[in-house]
Amino acid sequence: MANTHQLVDHFFRHEYGRLVSHLTRALGVRNLDLVEDVVQTSLMQALQSWSHKGIPEDPTGWLFRVAKNRAIDSLRRSNRWDSISRSVAQRKSNDLPVLEDLSDQQFPDDQLRMLFLCCCDELPVESQVALALKTLCGFDTAEIARALLTSEANIQKRLFRARERLKESKWELSDLDRATIQKRIEAVRTVIYLLFNEGYHSASSDRLIRKDLCEEAIRLGLLLCDNPDTNEPASQALMSLMYYHAARFEARTQENGEIFLLEDQDRNLWDQRLLREGLHWMVQSARGESLSRYHLEGAIVAEHCLCSSFQAINWGRIVELYDLLVGILPGPIHLLNRAVAVARWKGPDAGLQELARLDSDKSLRNYYLWNAVLGELNRQAGNLSEAGHYLSLAFEQCPSIAERKLISSRLDGILDNSRVGIFLK
Amino acid sequence: MTKYLFIYRSEPMTTPPSPEEMQASLKHWNDWAAKFKATGNIVDEGDGLKPCGKVVKGGGIVTDGPFMEAKEVCGGFSIILAKDYAEAVKIAQACPMVQFGGNVEIREMAGYV
Repeated sequence: MANTHQLVDHFFRHEYGRLVSHLTRALGVRNLDLVEDVVQTSLMQALQSWSHKGIPEDPTGWLFRVAKNRAIDSLRRSNRWDSISRSVAQRKSNDLPVLEDLSDQQFPDDQLRMLFLCCCDELPVESQVALALKTLCGFDTAEIARALLTSEANIQKRLFRARERLKESKWELSDLDRATIQKRIEAVRTVIYLLFNEGYHSASSDRLIRKDLCEEAIRLGLLLCDNPDTNEPASQALMSLMYYHAARFEARTQENGEIFLLEDQDRNLWDQRLLREGLHWMVQSARGESLSRYHLEGAIVAEHCLCSSFQAINWGRIVELYDLLVGILPGPIHLLNRAVAVARWKGPDAGLQELARLDSDKSLRNYYLWNAVLGELNRQAGNLSEAGHYLSLAFEQCPSIAERKLISSRLDGILDNSRVGIFLK
Repeated sequence: MTKYLFIYRSEPMTTPPSPEEMQASLKHWNDWAAKFKATGNIVDEGDGLKPCGKVVKGGGIVTDGPFMEAKEVCGGFSIILAKDYAEAVKIAQACPMVQFGGNVEIREMAGYV
C-alpha cells in the first residue's frame, strides 16, 4: 500500500550520483558506461514501482538492491562478471566486498573518489565539468547542455571521449592515495568553482538550473571539507567564497532574470544563514601557510557582504586584496576588477587611468566586460561619446540577455543626454 | 458506485527522462493517488507492466509483443470506484498520465462475479 512518504528535493539526482560512484568503485572504471545505464534503469524501475505502490520505507536501500542486482545481471550477460569475480576471489572473498559492505559513511567517500576521477588531468577542463555533472550530480545531457550553454550533441561527444580516456588511464577509484590527492586537488577545486560560477554568472536565462548548479558545487565542496585528507584551508576558503556568493543569489537576480547591481541590491534579501556559513568557513580556512586565490576572493566578497551598507564598503582594502590576488594569479580579469575598485575608491578618472595601463592587453578588447567597464567609467566621468562607444561594443559582445538589458538601460540614459546614436549601428 | 478499470497508455519513450524529471513525475502520481485514495475512489492502485510480453494466437503462433515500434504501449492499470462515467473521467483527467502526453482508457467492469 502506498504510504505518505515524500522524497527530499533532488533525491533521484543525488541517488544517481551516489550509486554511480559506489558501483564504479566496486566494478571498475572500465564499466562506467554500464554502471550509468544500470543506475538509470533502476531509477526508471523505482519511478514505475513507486508510482503504483508508493515510496518504500527505505528508498535508498531499495534502489541500492535493485541497482546491485541489475549490475550483476548486466555483467553476467556481457561476460564481464567472471573477470570481476576472479579478481575479487584473488582478494580472498566470496562476493563483491564493496557491494556488500554498504554504509552511509561509504557513500561520501565513494563520491569524493569519483570527483577525483572526473578531475583527471588528461581530460580537458570542460569535460571534467560535464563529467562531474553527469556522474556525480545526475544531470542528463540536455540539462548539462542547458547549464553550460552548448548543444546536447557537444555534451554527448565530450562525455563519450572522457569515458574512453578514463578507461585508458587505468586509474581506479580505489587508487585514491595521498600522491593522487596532491596531484589533483587543485583541479578538483577548479572544477567545483567553475560549476559554481556557471550557476552564478552564467549567461543562461534558466534561473532554476543555475541555482541547482550553485547548490551542487557547494555539495561537492562539502565532500572535500568533510574528509580529513582533502580538508585543506584552500578547500575551506572555497566553501566560504561560494556561501558568500550564494547568500546574494536571490537579491542579485529578479524574477525575470534581470540582474541587480550590488549597489541596488536589497540587503534584506541576503540570506543570513548562508552568510553565517560563509563566515564559518572563512574562520576555518584562516590557518596554514598558504594563501590561495579562494582566500583572497573570499575576503573581497566578504568586504562587500559583511558591510552594513554599500556606502560603507572599504574600497581601499578591496584594492589591496586585488593586489595580492594579482600577485598569486596574474590575469587581466583581476586587473579589470581591481580598476573598478580603484574607481570606487578614488573616482572614475583614477579607474580610467588604471584601465589605460591595461589597454595594451589585446585579449581584453573583445571582452564585453572590459568594454562595459570602460563605457561605465567614461559615463561617470562625463565623457558621454566615449561611454556610448564602449557600451555599444559591450552590448554587441555580451552573451547574456540579462546583462544586455543592463547595458542597454545605461545606453538609453546616455542617448537621452547626448547625440551618440551614430555608435549604435 | 461502479468499478472501473483504468488502463494507462503512452508512446514509447525515445530518450529516458532525467532523474529530476522522474522525481517530478513520481510526485505527481503520488499526489494524485493520495488525493483519490482519501476520497475512496482508488480501490486498488494496480501495477505497472513491463514493456515486453508475449502474444499467443491460434495455430500455435506465439510472438513477442507488444512491439517496441507500436505507437502506444500499455504501461499499467488501476481499479477505480466512481459514481458514474462522469466522475471516473474527472479522476482520469487529473491523472499525471494524461497531463504528460499519455492517455487513460476507462472501462466499466461488468461485475459478473
